[in-house]
Amino acid sequence: MKTDQPIARRMFRFFTAAVLVLMTAMPIHAEETVVRIGNIIPLSGPSASVGQQGKNAREMAVAEINAAGGIQSLDGARLEMIYADSESKPERGVAEAERLINTEKVHVLTGCWNSAVTYPTTAVAERYGIPFIVPVSVADKITEQGFKTVFRIAAKDSWWARDQFTFLKDMEVEFDTPVKRLAFVYENGDWGKGMAGQWKTLAEKGGYEVVLDEPYPSTATDLSPVVQKIRRARPDVLMLVSNAADAILLTNTLAAYKVKPKAIITSGGGHADPSFLEAAGENARYLFDIVEWETDINKPGAKEANERYKAAYGQNLTGEAVDAYLAMYVLADALERAGALDPAAIRDALAATRYESGKGMIVGYEAVEFDSTGQNKHAALMMVQINNAKSDLERITVWPKNARRKGYTPVFPMP
Amino acid sequence: MKPEKINRIALVLLSAAALGLPLVVRSATYLHILVLLYFYAYLTTCWNLVGGFAGVLPLGHAAFVGIGAYTSTILSLQYGVSPWLGMIVGGLLAAGVGILIGLPTFKLRGAYFALATIAFSEGLRVMVENIDRLGPFTINGPRGLQIPPLDTGLTNFMFAGKEPYYYSILVMLAGVLFLTYRISRSKLGYALNAGGEEPEAAMALGIDVARTKLIAMALSSFLTALAGTFYAQFTLYIHPKSIISLDLSFEIAFIALIGGRGSIAGPVLGALLLRPVSDFSRIYFGDTLPGMHLIIFGVVLILVMNFQPRGLQEPLTRLYQKVVNRLFHWGALEAAR
Amino acid sequence: MIYMIEDTINGILMGSIYGLTALGLTIIFGVLKVINFAHGSLLMVGMYAAYWAVALTGLHPYLTLVLVVPVMFVFGYYLQDIVIQPIFRAEKNVREPITVIIVTTGVWYILDNLTLLVFGPHYRTIQVNPLRGRMLEIGGLMISVPKLWGFVSAMVAAAAVYVFLQRTRMGRAIRATSLDRDAASLMGINPYKVYNVAFGIGTATAGIAAVTLVPFYNVFPTVGVLFDIKGFIIVVLGGLGSIGGAILGGIIIGLIESVGPQFMTATWTEAIVYGLFLLVLFVKPAGLFGVKYDW
Repeated sequence: MKTDQPIARRMFRFFTAAVLVLMTAMPIHAEETVVRIGNIIPLSGPSASVGQQGKNAREMAVAEINAAGGIQSLDGARLEMIYADSESKPERGVAEAERLINTEKVHVLTGCWNSAVTYPTTAVAERYGIPFIVPVSVADKITEQGFKTVFRIAAKDSWWARDQFTFLKDMEVEFDTPVKRLAFVYENGDWGKGMAGQWKTLAEKGGYEVVLDEPYPSTATDLSPVVQKIRRARPDVLMLVSNAADAILLTNTLAAYKVKPKAIITSGGGHADPSFLEAAGENARYLFDIVEWETDINKPGAKEANERYKAAYGQNLTGEAVDAYLAMYVLADALERAGALDPAAIRDALAATRYESGKGMIVGYEAVEFDSTGQNKHAALMMVQINNAKSDLERITVWPKNARRKGYTPVFPMP
Repeated sequence: MKPEKINRIALVLLSAAALGLPLVVRSATYLHILVLLYFYAYLTTCWNLVGGFAGVLPLGHAAFVGIGAYTSTILSLQYGVSPWLGMIVGGLLAAGVGILIGLPTFKLRGAYFALATIAFSEGLRVMVENIDRLGPFTINGPRGLQIPPLDTGLTNFMFAGKEPYYYSILVMLAGVLFLTYRISRSKLGYALNAGGEEPEAAMALGIDVARTKLIAMALSSFLTALAGTFYAQFTLYIHPKSIISLDLSFEIAFIALIGGRGSIAGPVLGALLLRPVSDFSRIYFGDTLPGMHLIIFGVVLILVMNFQPRGLQEPLTRLYQKVVNRLFHWGALEAAR
Repeated sequence: MIYMIEDTINGILMGSIYGLTALGLTIIFGVLKVINFAHGSLLMVGMYAAYWAVALTGLHPYLTLVLVVPVMFVFGYYLQDIVIQPIFRAEKNVREPITVIIVTTGVWYILDNLTLLVFGPHYRTIQVNPLRGRMLEIGGLMISVPKLWGFVSAMVAAAAVYVFLQRTRMGRAIRATSLDRDAASLMGINPYKVYNVAFGIGTATAGIAAVTLVPFYNVFPTVGVLFDIKGFIIVVLGGLGSIGGAILGGIIIGLIESVGPQFMTATWTEAIVYGLFLLVLFVKPAGLFGVKYDW
């Protein structure tokens, strides 16, 4: 397996390759029965943290699948992972997709977390007819390009926004606390702008008053001006879209300025990063975050999967990591049914997926099934609140109500 | 054989090799890497007109790449104008902007000029990120513009295979190299060189240093913008963070310095050496040692600057001259016999 | 009105910290005539040093100054001595060594990515420290205590560097070299030694800035990049090489960033900063507080 090669051999290969660049393609691997999976994720650069989690989750799933005997219908073929670093840059993603398809001869691609990388990269895969599984990249547009080879596990951002508003309405009713004034604060990027656009429509429909609509650069070194604006707008509910560094800074600054709206609703991403809780600590208490998965989910196998992950990588699974984990099992299931390594056969098997049970099915919803655009139509979201149920701060599932952790009452409004 | 003749034969052989390469390199991966290599060689050659000959350090050329890419993409997506035409429009726009920046900044000394170009390029990126619509044009802010890969063909500057892109950028590169060669032998070239090295002395000789630098800047930004269109058509997706990025501006400067600033072959040699280092180290270390490729990049840079501050073209040129002389003498000896 | 006062105070406090991050940049430029693109990375190294010092010993963040400042001085001294100086020697006759500028960029790439390899991509903050999230409340006014500390350190550091340059033998040697390298070496000053010391001092001030940031900021491998460009803008606004100018330039940026968002979205203040920067460059390239000559 590629990742097991000693550094010395990699060095050697690196130099050989550099010398041979202008010559013909190198014959690298002797072919055996392996399914080659190319993964384009950010391993260095600003999104390296989340990219590493995606890699860990994939590694765990693939190790399990291979240990369980690989793909039966392909004579126990092993899954072989090939990782490529996108550095969160679209052009790197495109170049890596070309390389993975043409040189590494991958049968399937997965990636890329950053929506900006996923758009052009899926277009490359579409051109070659290579199936492309997108565990997480939430922009609606990704499955609306008319591509036949793209399959997304995660919910799309219009669903995230919709569920945040449904949740808010439910909380208002449950705790008999009307909410009127909303503040939207979001990173000035593809993702933040996309979410904010959805929010504005939903706020108008729901009859809310938007008292602040503020994008900020996620490279900001001081967010207290933004926090001051929030404080002065006196919103009932503050809604946020943030990457990791700014999520931490924003949460700490909000606490320092004692900004206490009735609720703060966040959108995953930076707020779901494992280092967020460590770095924001007490300041993150009572925050509501939207996720696809949480450690306290009531699903057989979920707790065990999280323990295995924690033992190996020292952190809890996140919604994004679980999507990557699940994606590998969905792929294994499709390969099993395809019984061939032909990309077209794999694509057709993926399109016909209905993955209901199995080791990978640790998400809350009933099944993974793709609609005609390649979107997982059952993908559902839930809300968690950061609070301590026992001793430490943790993320506690509160919504939908039937998934709420037993014995926990959400804190709303914030005291 | 005379040295000039040997030079000419070498040039013909080199051109033949470049033209024939796609017949040997069948893998789309390597063609893709080669296309990007030429793309960087082209950009660096354009940069060299200002950064090399005019003797200043521009660190914001990504802004011109962005202007070119955005102009042609907006025109073709929203008005159905062929990218080839949009390319020229983008180039002219960039040349105008180049003059506008050049007018005040060429008065500034080295460090200030470098910082001014950085600020301009970063400022432009921030503007693009903040503007969704500009008059009748949709810029789409931080979300960028995607070119649907539908109608391939020459008029749309969009192809299914890599080969047409390869030849497009090869022709562009050859063109800009020829242009640089002509300029370096022209009055403008001498004036630029003189103004870059000894501005006071050049002015005393009656050379209008500021004006020659402006001409170089206009030319450089025009040509750089053309590459922007090429880039947009090649990757089919542009977004401000990746195209108007400091990383791109810096990489161009790196290639120029490592290859050899102010020489014609320097940018090409630099791209030939640095691009594979960056591509292959990312491929082989990207998953286990993230960031390793950038460390290698930095180390190569420091080593080259330490041992060959004039860039790698100097020792290579010397080597080449030696070979040519050997051939010449050998030829002369043969003839004498 | 109270909003205006609050924002102005925050702008001045945060701005003085920006000025502190840029102080080293201006010192190094004043002497070496080189923009140090690795300055943000040096700040990042200082932040990791301060972070680990606090995390492992549980000291008050400002007590780590006794550790971080000397460590950073030595680091900067030898970075210049071993990596950058040979290139200076090779470029002896060039007044503004462009290759050195590019080499500092190489140093930036190496430092940031080595940190990524060693410490991983995680975000770290010091959880338990006496300054974290502390606020001074006067009537309705809220003033951040860690930023107030930062303001004081910036003033003290700038004053200390100024006094050092004016009053000490080494300081005079540094000023002499920055005015005229050749004349200084004729007077028996070894310019390369002076460069090392100047680079060491610049790096040490980045260490001070790092200590002031650590109580309220996150530490991660690419954190330096965020302060890098800001630093360049500040030193040009204030006049490259001017110590007081760096602090004042920082305060101007801080004020724009802090007061500006009351009139527009925060993303536009960035554009204003760049616009102002270009304007100053074109109208008064020596900077708002710069002197005509180089120092």
